[in-house]
Amino acid sequence: MYAQAFFVAVFGLAAIGFGVVVFRTSSMVRSALALLFSQTAVGCMFLAMQTEFLGVLQIMMMATEMSIMAIFMVMFMMDPGGLGGMDMSHQKRFSIGAGVSAAIVAIAVALLSDWGPAAEQVPDAEAQTRALGVELLGRSMMIFETAGITILTAMIAATAVAIPVKNLAGKDDKEASE
Amino acid sequence: MTVAIVLLALFGSAWLLAVIEGWITTGRLSPAAPLYSGLAHLGRESIVPRSPDRVFFEAAPVLLMVVAVLGMAVLPLAPDLVIADLGTGGLFINAALAYVLVAVIMAGWGPDGAYAMIGGWRFLGQLIAYSMLIVMPITAVAMRAESLVNTAIVGSQESLWNIVYQPLGFVLFFIAAMALSFRAPFDLPTAEGELGGGVDAEYTGVRLAVLRLARLTLVVTLASTTTVFYLGGWYGPLLPPWVWSLVKTLAVAVSMMLAGRYLPRIREADLMRWCWVLGIPLALVNIIIVGLLILVVP
Repeated sequence: MYAQAFFVAVFGLAAIGFGVVVFRTSSMVRSALALLFSQTAVGCMFLAMQTEFLGVLQIMMMATEMSIMAIFMVMFMMDPGGLGGMDMSHQKRFSIGAGVSAAIVAIAVALLSDWGPAAEQVPDAEAQTRALGVELLGRSMMIFETAGITILTAMIAATAVAIPVKNLAGKDDKEASE
Repeated sequence: MTVAIVLLALFGSAWLLAVIEGWITTGRLSPAAPLYSGLAHLGRESIVPRSPDRVFFEAAPVLLMVVAVLGMAVLPLAPDLVIADLGTGGLFINAALAYVLVAVIMAGWGPDGAYAMIGGWRFLGQLIAYSMLIVMPITAVAMRAESLVNTAIVGSQESLWNIVYQPLGFVLFFIAAMALSFRAPFDLPTAEGELGGGVDAEYTGVRLAVLRLARLTLVVTLASTTTVFYLGGWYGPLLPPWVWSLVKTLAVAVSMMLAGRYLPRIREADLMRWCWVLGIPLALVNIIIVGLLILVVP
């Protein structure tokens, strides 16, 4: 029990630490990978809390997502390497205010809400995974399928918008050069 | 004890693989060559580029090694010879191997060199091609075993190996595993001759030694994954289970290397197109076929 609490605390602090690094660096790639390791630490917290499937899923998803985000930041930011020493934080007063009030609300929720009795026994990882599978293919199937189709539609739409219409552009260039 | 045995098997296999690789490329069978090569690397100056991103530069080879070892930790060599038989083993391998990408991007960005950086980002493109072909065949394998536990996955193949039950999945997974281990013909991130070594280019001395050892270890881990998922793991006549695991793993690893030796390097655009246009639909067909087989055949 104490070991569990210790590891939850360690990974929680690591997540906060890496979260701070996201804003303390000027390099986009460092920032993206710091966010990745912050999220990985949250995944490790899940593992420490015996929710193995969620933990492994979080650790797996974040690696690819944040790497892809890193290349987008390199492509679209004006100073991806941070050589100009740019500042990663924006609207400082507002963000400090928002951050502090969000933290106060989160701590208040954690302390004031009634969490009920702590679970003495949790099912093992295999039983949890099986229960999750049954849930996803039973009661919650429509919700997840709808979410999945919505995300897929958004991806296809975003890709379609992002692809330049090559033929037309080429035609314009040709006409311009003529 | 189990940890020591599995690590010994992992690095022993990596050493054997290095010997075989030397044999394939130079035609000479020299068991001590990897040792000499490693010592030579340790003796050389470890040059640090002019303005590196020091944390990434130093961490990348180590992270790659950690990833390969972590993946191996959930793979069983025999029914009771596994470091951690996790309830989500099949997913955990995928999670560990996702960090190969992070390590390669770090190795690409860290040294502040053009070739290395192109190599690192190229591997991200390669991931967009191969990643679905890793996940979807694992899904079909887990469907048959009705479990993500790796020992249960091997257990489900007692009567019939998955390579026979779902050959399509095996072919797709094998190709994706080769792309993930970024060896020829999928060596786009390193690409000697066009990128001058790519992510390897700026590493020298002890760091290069760790990077090379990590890549070989990664090949062994991926070959072992293929063995567990498709070749019936430890099952086989006469010999003890762990021997079968090792023999199969080495056979898969050598076939990966041989395929790389005789195939030309694939173009990035072609790799992505084939994987998305052909690979993903085939992986979905594989899932449907396996689903039907499970429902129809008792």
